[in-house]
Amino acid sequence: MIKHQFFEKNAVFLLVGTLLTVAIGGIVEIVPLFTIETTVEHVQGMRPYTPLEMAGRDIYVREGCYLCHSQQIRALRDEVERYGHYSIAAESMYDHPFQWGSKRIGPDLARVGGKYSNDWQYAHLKNPQELVPESLMPHYAFLADTPLRLDDIQERMRTLRAVGVPYSDEDIAQASADIAAQANPTADTADLLKRYPKAVEVSAENGQPSEMDALVAYLQMLGTLVNFADTNTERLQQ
Amino acid sequence: MSDAVMHGGVAESVLGPAPIYNDAVVKKFVIASIFWAIVAFLVGVWIATELTWPAANLGLSWINFGRLRPVHTSAAIFAFGGSALFGTSFFVVQRTCRARLWGGEALANFVFWGYQFFIVMAALSYVMGFSQSKEYAEPEWHIDLWLTVVWVCYLLIYVGTLIKRQEPHIYVANWFYLAFIVTVAMLHIVNNMALPISLYAAKSYSVYSGVQDALVQWWYGHNAVGFFLTAGFLGMMYYFIPKAAGRPVYSYRLSIVHFWTLIFLYIWAGPHHLHWTALPDWTQTLGMAFSIMLWMPSWGGMINGIMTLSGAWDKLRTDPGLRFSVTAVGFYGMSTFEGPVMSVRDVNALSHYTDWTIGHVHSGALGWVAFIVFGALYYLVPVLWHRQRLYSTKLVAWHYWIATLGIVLYIVSMWVAGIMQGLMWRAYDQYGFLQYSFVESVVAVHPFYVIRLLGGVFFLSGALIMVYNFYRTITSPTTEAPQAMRPAPIAAPAGAFGVAGE
Amino acid sequence: MDSEPGDFVVGALMAIFGLIGLFLAARAADGEMYVFGLGLVAFAALFILGLIKRRYDRIDAARALVRVRHDV
Repeated sequence: MIKHQFFEKNAVFLLVGTLLTVAIGGIVEIVPLFTIETTVEHVQGMRPYTPLEMAGRDIYVREGCYLCHSQQIRALRDEVERYGHYSIAAESMYDHPFQWGSKRIGPDLARVGGKYSNDWQYAHLKNPQELVPESLMPHYAFLADTPLRLDDIQERMRTLRAVGVPYSDEDIAQASADIAAQANPTADTADLLKRYPKAVEVSAENGQPSEMDALVAYLQMLGTLVNFADTNTERLQQ
Repeated sequence: MSDAVMHGGVAESVLGPAPIYNDAVVKKFVIASIFWAIVAFLVGVWIATELTWPAANLGLSWINFGRLRPVHTSAAIFAFGGSALFGTSFFVVQRTCRARLWGGEALANFVFWGYQFFIVMAALSYVMGFSQSKEYAEPEWHIDLWLTVVWVCYLLIYVGTLIKRQEPHIYVANWFYLAFIVTVAMLHIVNNMALPISLYAAKSYSVYSGVQDALVQWWYGHNAVGFFLTAGFLGMMYYFIPKAAGRPVYSYRLSIVHFWTLIFLYIWAGPHHLHWTALPDWTQTLGMAFSIMLWMPSWGGMINGIMTLSGAWDKLRTDPGLRFSVTAVGFYGMSTFEGPVMSVRDVNALSHYTDWTIGHVHSGALGWVAFIVFGALYYLVPVLWHRQRLYSTKLVAWHYWIATLGIVLYIVSMWVAGIMQGLMWRAYDQYGFLQYSFVESVVAVHPFYVIRLLGGVFFLSGALIMVYNFYRTITSPTTEAPQAMRPAPIAAPAGAFGVAGE
Repeated sequence: MDSEPGDFVVGALMAIFGLIGLFLAARAADGEMYVFGLGLVAFAALFILGLIKRRYDRIDAARALVRVRHDV
């Protein structure tokens, strides 16, 4: 214990010693996640978010939805029965940042896409208690009255590309057209669906897309991309 | 100890009445800490109301639960806890080093005002709808950069003061404060790596995604608990409990072992926040194993804190401020036992995503963090404002009992609610179907949300009593200490190790 | 010692932050950045005023001390 004077009598040694001690755990646990090939499974169907879904996801982040809704179905029997196939790492590979959450004041949303109709989602977001009287959810009617901000969509996509989301030049160039197509039920969506399969059309009530349209587009695709009939447990092994 | 007193006396006689320590900045942080305590508790009570009766959200975007919750957590952790840590660390480092803060008055003031600016800007950004959505790291990139600047200045002041110290040894409280400052810097920088959409836009995207982002976040999140809410406050414990009890720290060896094992093991524990998820199993297992090991150094710290009172237990009767500190260490022991239990995968399968976690966090935040701060504040305010004693020790006792009752209501209601949720979500009926819909679990916990709210109101009321007591202590002339009674700026426990009954 | 070296370092730092704040507020792409930029400008300006005030306070205190000693 005499040797402890080494640290106790020199502030710089104490500082460096502390820093080295606390660095080890993080390095051992975090670095392999970037280097081990199987950490993120190779599955069919994952694609980047459509511009409208991406905008909706940003609203989901902004409103702090993750504070009450997880997006991570754990590999437990009751969770799989309640919410669907357990979540796999590949499903959040384009999520900057992740939205797994840590608390369920409301139910998990990892596979909420397609569970309810668009109409239900709109009505529920505006007034949750109208559909679920016991719900604790705040009202989000203001989202329907707020026009979606469109001028920085391409900047957002370019930034996401810089951090690793594979948007092509065409995807970014077509962003406005893609949003217009997805937010209009009568529009031709052939081009949109070619690049973003399974994108769900929503209805811009006031003619121009609102923040709620974007949010509904996002909610309606959650957990729908990977076709689990196509894969097997061996492929999901990490 | 007598040696230190003598030196303190010499310093004062040579330099005259001019203050040798920068206590002005400590006072500012103390006031800020008290102010933010009330804000944090008030917002907490408000969002507990929103969770109990959702109509309280009022349909207004900026006070929705989702935007106010980070205001509550940031106000509690960074504003209240952080200001207390800055203030006490500046107080402690000057006295245990017998040196004025390095870097001059202007730099210390910059750290104070810069940190307050960070808090206000962060809270404002949440209600305006800007958040990185990483728990306890919600501020966007520009606010993160600002905090980094302030933090580096803090580190410079702290290390600068340690280097120019007049004492041969660096006192144990400073090890913990230093570990807190250095590690939080590392965590903050790594977790907040993000690319803004433009230099003039607040929105940014994390450079990490999915599973990697999840682990980086909970490596950060768990160690925000480990280093912000634990190591820093252990520094507080190692100074204020010996001071208030008038006894040296129980064991010097234990504090060495406890320090290095605590900081080494804590860092590994993050993955227990991600049990049964898409995080690879090996990482989860590693996180669980280290979380369980962490129990030992945590209790080492608790023993060192509580046993410091041996021979001075009677002070618990006469000094209600010390009662806060000691109860805090008790809650620390409880939370650091509960934590490893919850980190076991099978327990976590039940507890995760439920209110049990919320109860666990609050037994730490209210029982440990807030109580150790209250104990330190009750010691500090009379010293800093040169008062002989507090305005009323009776009011301290009232604060103590009301706050304790509040904590008990809070954590018991959350235990019951959490275990109930966990059991209801996994209950099967006789036909093999899930027995309850999700919303049935929401209805079932409602009464406990009301009790939780009540617990929060109690805790807030106790804190308001404290504010009144401090106000009267500072303003009433009758309690002013005569000049000679002024507590000498001594480095008490620093030299105390030598005396320390080893 | 009516001014410390730290005053000038911190003062210069504030001048830089004030300038950054002006740029951020002027070119802000959203309300948050605008508020933050203006806040930064206000912070820097007030802090520099505080530095100046404290310097004069120190000079005054030193003078007062001299006067007291003179009287004695």
